Amino acid sequence: MKLVAASMPLVFAFAFLVPVIDQGMQAMGLGAPFGLSTLTFALIVGGGWGLSAQITGRWV
Amino acid sequence: MNAQSPILPADLSQLSDAELRKLERQIARKHSGMVPWEAVLWAFGNLAVWLSLWPLVFSGLLPLWAAFPIATVNMALVYLPTHEAQHDIIARPGQRLRWLNEAVGHATSWMLVYPFEVLRVTHLDHHRHTNNPELDVDIGTKADGPWSAIWGTIQGRQPGAKRNHDYAGAAIRANRPSLILISLAYKIAFIATLGALAWNGYALEALFLWWLPYQIAITYIIFFLSWAPHHPGNEQGRYRNTRSWKSAVGNIGSMGMQYHLVHHLHPYIPLTRTPAAWREMKPILEARGCELGELEA
Repeated sequence: MKLVAASMPLVFAFAFLVPVIDQGMQAMGLGAPFGLSTLTFALIVGGGWGLSAQITGRWV
Repeated sequence: MNAQSPILPADLSQLSDAELRKLERQIARKHSGMVPWEAVLWAFGNLAVWLSLWPLVFSGLLPLWAAFPIATVNMALVYLPTHEAQHDIIARPGQRLRWLNEAVGHATSWMLVYPFEVLRVTHLDHHRHTNNPELDVDIGTKADGPWSAIWGTIQGRQPGAKRNHDYAGAAIRANRPSLILISLAYKIAFIATLGALAWNGYALEALFLWWLPYQIAITYIIFFLSWAPHHPGNEQGRYRNTRSWKSAVGNIGSMGMQYHLVHHLHPYIPLTRTPAAWREMKPILEARGCELGELEA
């Protein structure tokens, strides 16, 4: 249970943040840089942010 | 006879501590004991409106941009009915309507991703230890000014925030360690629900109907229910740990918290009766040296 609690930021990032970024970009008609798909871009940004929150204990 | 209260004599200066306390209790009893039906209607009406937003948005009958502010207001309105239930104001244990008190608490608190019992245990702990730097679960909301208070509420929701540990500490002090697990289950269920919606193509609906309204509302709730009425939060005495103040957004805009002082003195008084109780109690509050700000009767 402690493991689940401790990994919440990463779980949140991949469960929710990634699709929010992906679908948000699509809704606004924004393309991802470097020829990436919006989902790949969202996985990088959302996953990276989640990893950062996981390590530092803070989203902002 | 005092002009503000038929219960109070004109001159309180000759009264003893015990006599003042007795008069204070008489006023409190006058404004309590009734079922606050408005809180019950508020709780279930607010829940019904928020739940109705989902099918309305999914079916295209209501645009998401219009549903978002409604959902935010719904979220901001969740806490006060559950707060009434936390204090057993709708019905005390053993009373006929006790089931309704508990129904209000459980039916509303999950929207804020907290089990009702966690809100109850931690909030009652806050009342016991108001402004105690070690034991008050809400001490983390203490801040020098309004902007730092808002920033502090955001910081208090971070994964590694002290507030998480303070809430767990309150559950342990209450000999209810299982509440920590139940809280965690609520958080997991919340993320699972958001995730299920998001990966099925409804990420923006989940964002604007629940996650973002929740973030805005919880900031608003903590600002007005925790920071503002306890600011500056340096004293712990019964008459000095909470204050009255004149809110720039009025009594409704600050969710009735201008009169939070009366709530801390007599937490069994319904929210809608605290202004009247405050007005009647004001001479006693002045005699007790309470911080009344610029709030006028």
